[in-house]
Amino acid sequence: MGKHASSGKYAIVGLGVVAGPQPDRSERMIAAEAARLAIADAGLTRADIGGAIDLRRTGGGGDRASYSDAFTRVLGIKNNFYFTCGRGGALAGLGMAATMSYLDRGIADYVVLMGAVTDWSQSQETRKKGFRGMAHAEKRGYWGKPLGDSRAVSHHSWMAARHMAVYGTTSAQLGAISVAERQWACMNPEAKMYGRPITVEDHQNSPLVAEPYHLLDMSQVSDGGIAFILTTADRAKDCAKPPVYVLGQGFGEVSADLWWEKKNFTHMAVEPAKKQAFGQADITLDDVDCAQLYDCFTAEVLFQLEDYGWCKKGEGGAFVADGNMAPGGSIPVNTGGGLLSCYHLGDLTGLAESVRQLRGEAGERQIEDCDIVLTTGHGGELVSPGMCSIHTCTLLGRHA
Amino acid sequence: MNINPQSYTVDLDWKKPYPSIDHDNEAFWDGLKEHKLLVWKCKQCGAVYWPKAYCQNHDNEPFAANCEWTEASGRGKIFAFNIHHWAFHPGFKEEVPYVYALIELDEGPLISSQLVGGDLPTDIHTVGQTVEIVYEDHPAQGFTLPKFRVVRE
Ligand SMILES: [Zn+2]
Repeated sequence: MGKHASSGKYAIVGLGVVAGPQPDRSERMIAAEAARLAIADAGLTRADIGGAIDLRRTGGGGDRASYSDAFTRVLGIKNNFYFTCGRGGALAGLGMAATMSYLDRGIADYVVLMGAVTDWSQSQETRKKGFRGMAHAEKRGYWGKPLGDSRAVSHHSWMAARHMAVYGTTSAQLGAISVAERQWACMNPEAKMYGRPITVEDHQNSPLVAEPYHLLDMSQVSDGGIAFILTTADRAKDCAKPPVYVLGQGFGEVSADLWWEKKNFTHMAVEPAKKQAFGQADITLDDVDCAQLYDCFTAEVLFQLEDYGWCKKGEGGAFVADGNMAPGGSIPVNTGGGLLSCYHLGDLTGLAESVRQLRGEAGERQIEDCDIVLTTGHGGELVSPGMCSIHTCTLLGRHA
Repeated sequence: MNINPQSYTVDLDWKKPYPSIDHDNEAFWDGLKEHKLLVWKCKQCGAVYWPKAYCQNHDNEPFAANCEWTEASGRGKIFAFNIHHWAFHPGFKEEVPYVYALIELDEGPLISSQLVGGDLPTDIHTVGQTVEIVYEDHPAQGFTLPKFRVVRE
């Protein structure tokens, strides 16, 4: 087969991270700061940036509206294009795919992609008002909301429950995923849960939220921003940091398996995404040194370990309980602590960790001879009853 | 709550999110008010869908006019369920813990709703329990909610 012509043609050359609570800051200032850090990290200036993509979990609205107060304008980037992009927890993968087309045609030499959230600060506000999460009363929206449907947590916990019913997976096995990610987080000073190790017993004793999910099955609610700079491989060589090459990208939608086929409750749309990305890069799963798998909840990690083929379908529970994804395991997963223990900035969390691993900047948790990283995103409520739909797979490498 | 009748009326101030009623599902919500569970059926091949969709088995007439709303049995089996212990919306504060289930209707489609009645499943590792619809009327709000209860055979 051989590599696809696009493999290794583009690279990430800059990374900017604003982590931790940002209670007194607007989302757009966090966004602009992350972008400023990424530009500096690449050894570039604002004048080099030709375009910008604002990565969002939802299509629009919110604090950093795209009209008069884009982060690019706050920062002073004289860009040729700016738009928002995202689908649930799939942001960076989609933004990168769009960026490559602009780079390819010379519309921009360097593009900044940025995602920022103030979920944690906002949750503190709603908690003061006496509840958790949403308070919406609008008459439009998703099926099930008058029936107690709480979207992500309701739908994802069904999937975990279904996997348990079909394959006998246990809550304690899901707990092993939380524990492994916490072990990684304890080697990452940037992680929210740094210095706070947990055991499977702690997981089992944590409050039930949407059974089978305990509190420790759920990802963090975070503030922060992550930005990165993408350019072509020839320009990447002249940047300040070692380039991180894009070896392949693939996409899948669970909606391709129509929901009434009922196939989508124990797996993600990995199959097409894997085939495309690994085909472009011309590599196999054995070539992957570590994986940053989207982990809004624990079972999503389990599904992906099975769907990519690190273990057989239905055997993910035993696989994680044996420590395979933990430090020292056969496939290190979410080496920065992931969404469960580091911070939740969509698929940007895993992307930032991928860049650090491939640059050799991961400190105590650095994977030896880390050449290739697989990083995924997924999300987007699409069908009724709701499911997380898109799956994105991005393969990154130290060499083109 | 011990739900024995086929329907019951709750007519208090509505403090929960409203149902999303639009042009595509208005007939479905009207059906609930008449205590009928409607599903979307293809007149050509008999395939059943919920919510409204184009038939996947062949080409369709414009706007899927080859399909129509038809009454379903109101029975099905639990495909997966969870137990919500936290109220993410303040309107559910008095109800937690409640069981929220994905139900495979006997006609085929999946629908989700809250389970009511005294005989609720508790073992999350189990699926396949038979359920039937219970109509929860909210006349002051102008809608009926489709809830389900477990049926022991
Ligand atoms: Zn048909």
